[in-house]
Amino acid sequence: MRAAALLLALLALAIPAAAQPASTPLLTADLSTDRVEISTGFTGASVIVFGATERLIGAESGEDVVVLATGPAQPTVVRRKVNVLGFWVNGPAATFPEVPGFYAIAATRPVWQALPEQVRRSARLGLDALPLRAEGSQAPAFRAALLDLKQQDGRWQEYAAPVSVAGGRLFSARISFPDTVQTGDYRIEVLLVRERRIVARQELFLRVDRVGTAASIAHVARAMPAVYGIGCIILAALAGWLGSVIFRRG
Amino acid sequence: MQVYLPIAEMSVDAMLLLGIGFGVGWLSGLFGVGGGFLLTPVLILIGIPAPVAVASGANQTLGASVSGLIAQWRRDNVDARMGIVLLTGGLLGSLLGVQLFAALRKAGQVDLAVSFFYVVVLGTVGALMVRESVRAIFRRRRTGSAAARAHEHTWLHGLPFKVRFRKSRLYISIVPPLAVGFGIGILSAVMGVGGGFMLVPAMIYLLGMPTSVVIGTSLFQVVFVSANVTLLQAIQVGSVDIVLTLLLLAGGVAGAQFGAAMGTKLRGEETRALLGLLVLAVAIGLAWGLVSPPENLFAIGPVQ
Repeated sequence: MRAAALLLALLALAIPAAAQPASTPLLTADLSTDRVEISTGFTGASVIVFGATERLIGAESGEDVVVLATGPAQPTVVRRKVNVLGFWVNGPAATFPEVPGFYAIAATRPVWQALPEQVRRSARLGLDALPLRAEGSQAPAFRAALLDLKQQDGRWQEYAAPVSVAGGRLFSARISFPDTVQTGDYRIEVLLVRERRIVARQELFLRVDRVGTAASIAHVARAMPAVYGIGCIILAALAGWLGSVIFRRG
Repeated sequence: MQVYLPIAEMSVDAMLLLGIGFGVGWLSGLFGVGGGFLLTPVLILIGIPAPVAVASGANQTLGASVSGLIAQWRRDNVDARMGIVLLTGGLLGSLLGVQLFAALRKAGQVDLAVSFFYVVVLGTVGALMVRESVRAIFRRRRTGSAAARAHEHTWLHGLPFKVRFRKSRLYISIVPPLAVGFGIGILSAVMGVGGGFMLVPAMIYLLGMPTSVVIGTSLFQVVFVSANVTLLQAIQVGSVDIVLTLLLLAGGVAGAQFGAAMGTKLRGEETRALLGLLVLAVAIGLAWGLVSPPENLFAIGPVQ
């Protein structure tokens, strides 16, 4: 009797939920951490983006999840080496004033398969959709070199890691930051794509900060360069003197 | 064990840095030079950005030279008056050198300029050293000939502002030592070296100083000029990485003791021939880097 009553109660709870699908969000996502700390032993870090969708993800249901991470802007200069009298010197350069220092995109399937080109471009989904405006030399080779070199050092990633799906509705993706990652605020966007449209979007924020000794050193060096310089002189002199004392006795 | 360098903004294997410090320290102990001319190119080779390599190299040279200076000072082998004249030139030179460095960095030619300076300076010094020491080995004569040259009178002795340098037993114009100090000051700012390997021959052959006070006096100049370069680089370029410096020093002071112990077993001219060959090898390696076709024609960097 008791079991039957419990079953009835459960059914009563379940029925309104099924009748009103709008009450469950289409997409929920979160980050494993909202802070990446660069300490003295930092060698890079990874952050997991995870979440759930209302419907099943996959080719049959036509639902896709896209994860996009962008870092603060980092003006970058691309230089081309030219041969002058037998020496290879830095020749013409192109400056890209508004490129993200970090860019990573991951998706359950490549975005160009799931979204119309126009939407993909306006949402900047994919490295080729980034508006890479150059100052200086306008040759397309500079743009290509920028894309190539940024991907080589791991600061720009395109489908480098998959978005994995468990149980049909739970997804997770790993965003890897190299050791050269910039400090600042990072924006993680999670998009749900259905029938070639973006139907839900969630924004998450992540902060990359130096902490501990690394933070204090970088801070003093920037804020009080003269004090830092004198400190470096004293420390180096002390280390040299101390070392010679230790090794001469030993 | 990886360690994050806060100014270079990258992580490097700490054992690798200790090893490089030890190796360079060993060679510098063996040859009695600071070793900055080896250190900066090696740091650039392992991927440290050139500005950080130059600035931290100067900082490391300072630390490595301090213990040597203390030892020489105790033995009364430092001509302080000559040192101060050289230093005055050196400080002015490094002031100009750091400005030059900042301008080159803005123009995006720092890596080229650093390599180019190295090739020219190391190539010349190395070739001269090898030639001189090979001759000496053939003749099997001691370095006494250097002291004899001090008494030759050249046009250098006709210059005004003569000063008596008691410890160096010289009565010469202050213009040549000022000029020597100035030139080496510029080079130390751009190359991240103390300049000992250039200063020592310049003091012996150009100024005619006795060899007994040359090492001590050059260390005097190197310590203060590299301190000045460290300070100016920290203020103007912001590229001194103290974590890098201290790791290199930790390996360096240990290596220097072993090197110095081994150095006493070698003959003077053989040591100089080996040092000359080493200097030449670094110059040729860097020259090859300038003329060989690069793997990638393009390079990216932050906007200054």
